[in-house]
Amino acid sequence: MDEKTEKDILQDIASQEYEHGFVTDVEQEFIPKGLNEDIIRLISSKKHEPQWLLDFRLDAFRRWQKMKMPAWAHLQIPEIDFQDIIYYAAPKKDSDRPKEIDPELEKTFDKLGIPLNERAALAGVAVDAVFDSVSVTTTFRKALADKGIIFCSFSEAVREHPDLVRKYLASVVPVGDNFYAALNSAVFSDGSFCYIPKGVRCPMELSSYFRINAKGTGQFERTLIVADEGSYVSYMEGCTAPMRDENQLHAAVVEIVVEKDAEVKYSTVQNWYPGDAQGRGGIFNFVTKRGICKGEGSHLSWTQVETGSAITWKYPSTILKGDNSSSEFYSVAVTNNMQQADTGTKMIHIGKNTRSRIISKGISAGRSQNSYRGLVKMLPGADNARNYSQCDSLLIGDRCGAHTFPDIQNASRTAVVEHEATTSKISEDQLFYCNQRGIGPEEAVGLIVNGYAREVLSKLPMEFAVEAQKLLQVSLEGSVG
Amino acid sequence: MEGKRVITLSSGDSLQRVFMLREASVTSLPVEHLVLGAGSRADITIVVMPGVSCDVRLTVDMEGVNAGCSIQGIYLCPGAEKVRIAVDMNHRVPLCSSRQLFKGIAGGSSKVDFYGKIIVSKDAQKTEAYQENHNLLLSDDARVNSRPQLEIYADDVKCSHGATIGRLNEEEQFYMRSRGITLHEARVLQMISFVSPVFSHIPESAVREELESEVERAVRSM
Repeated sequence: MDEKTEKDILQDIASQEYEHGFVTDVEQEFIPKGLNEDIIRLISSKKHEPQWLLDFRLDAFRRWQKMKMPAWAHLQIPEIDFQDIIYYAAPKKDSDRPKEIDPELEKTFDKLGIPLNERAALAGVAVDAVFDSVSVTTTFRKALADKGIIFCSFSEAVREHPDLVRKYLASVVPVGDNFYAALNSAVFSDGSFCYIPKGVRCPMELSSYFRINAKGTGQFERTLIVADEGSYVSYMEGCTAPMRDENQLHAAVVEIVVEKDAEVKYSTVQNWYPGDAQGRGGIFNFVTKRGICKGEGSHLSWTQVETGSAITWKYPSTILKGDNSSSEFYSVAVTNNMQQADTGTKMIHIGKNTRSRIISKGISAGRSQNSYRGLVKMLPGADNARNYSQCDSLLIGDRCGAHTFPDIQNASRTAVVEHEATTSKISEDQLFYCNQRGIGPEEAVGLIVNGYAREVLSKLPMEFAVEAQKLLQVSLEGSVG
Repeated sequence: MEGKRVITLSSGDSLQRVFMLREASVTSLPVEHLVLGAGSRADITIVVMPGVSCDVRLTVDMEGVNAGCSIQGIYLCPGAEKVRIAVDMNHRVPLCSSRQLFKGIAGGSSKVDFYGKIIVSKDAQKTEAYQENHNLLLSDDARVNSRPQLEIYADDVKCSHGATIGRLNEEEQFYMRSRGITLHEARVLQMISFVSPVFSHIPESAVREELESEVERAVRSM
């Protein structure tokens, strides 16, 4: 391809605007900057939390103080001043209409394509919309409650279903699990809680949408999903943030409990603001996501499309405890410009006949660094366990990096683990073939990348697949190497 | 790096070595660092015999264009061996190729730890680097960990790695047993065929045949 158009196209993407980078002008309530026990007490009191939860937070905070930021990831993380972050920000409620949603907020979510109005909503998707530190609303709650399904914000769950929350909170990700999980346990603000009772098949997709709006804040999402025996739920998560020159921290903890014969599908389309072409600003996405296949025959599947964030540190994992349980991890991670991603999964096989499958597709462009890091562990007693992992990396341009760091451990004689990884670039032959047939270079790259990521994209719920495909195109259009 | 353990190949040189570790007292390689000049070629075979616990470390630096390197190994661990193998393959310049193939069998209460890293520097375009590590786990107390790693900073490359940890295929065993081959013999045949791809990388036929028969004897006694 001729040199000039290539440059032009590259310029185009570099200057491509981040679509969701606007700021909503609502009156917001902040607490002072900084992190100490008083701040934690303040957050807890703002949310009218019971004593046990405050104790839980304080315990987490004391542990966190003794911990160090993990440095093993293939990332260059600038120093984060945890005292320079506002840990709680919430849009002010209109005192005249305390029950209604601020029209400004409704407009914001509308603009993001997340209608909060049930009639106008995408049929078949219930949304929990989180704006900075609080949940704005949760749609379709009545319809779900008829089936016995609880889907609400985490804060509400603490008030209305304390027994369930207490039983499952930190049962999958312990308070002291890692630095960011401990931080989250101390200061978590809002997220979604979801409980599917025995034998219920959730009639619609559940979804949480996270929006960071306020400046200088961090978001600490906490999500807990419990699927009781024989139930099924598909859960989707989306997120965006305004464009700013500062880095903002998003440190989430997601816990999933899958009981006997239950099935949970968890999908993420992560589109936090990635920073500009020079690497200024963007979200630090340091997330702990873990599920446990607790009962026999349970199934958990993770699907993620990661296109945003300045730095991503994320390893959705599954503990396969129940016999015959299975788990899957499908991931597409795209990095461009100065983005860095260290993401992958952990599959811990404990039960007999457990199966797991990992498909990871990394795409790096610009000057980004994209790493897959994974652990597959077969414990003694994981008889006939089976894992298959495939991690492919695609390089676009000669200044980016693609890395693969798997760790496979087998202590079970009858278990079989397989891992394979490849790294390559879009070949000139492929491009030439498309060009010859009248497909422009930009479109050709989109075509090839979509084909490359297809195996993962096809696992996404319909509502997400369209968005994800669009996102891939925006992130990569024309970045021909 | 100690001086005596470095081998530097200047341009056009070629090196072929087979390292047999059969004495329990030998726990590492006499060479730990290979530096390859332009157009040079190194061919290293490492065989760890039963009863040997070892810590094999090898670093290869490709410093000249068009260098080629092939490293292959077999480790047989039927007892209480602790075998650690760590290979660092550094592609620093363009147009080099490397191939690694390690195959091992772990039984008894042996512990195997394989670590292999391929680093392709920013300027090392047109690199071809492949690595494979396959393991058989024969007993409940044996442990195998494998960490194949790729770190790639150049885009016009072909790199891949593969790792497996598994067991002997029971359908193959059934096939052989239904044809009158004993279970023991079937397992021996499976294990020999499992490790044999490593031999095909040894160019010298006399060396290859000797090695083959020695490995076969060891497998039979496992």
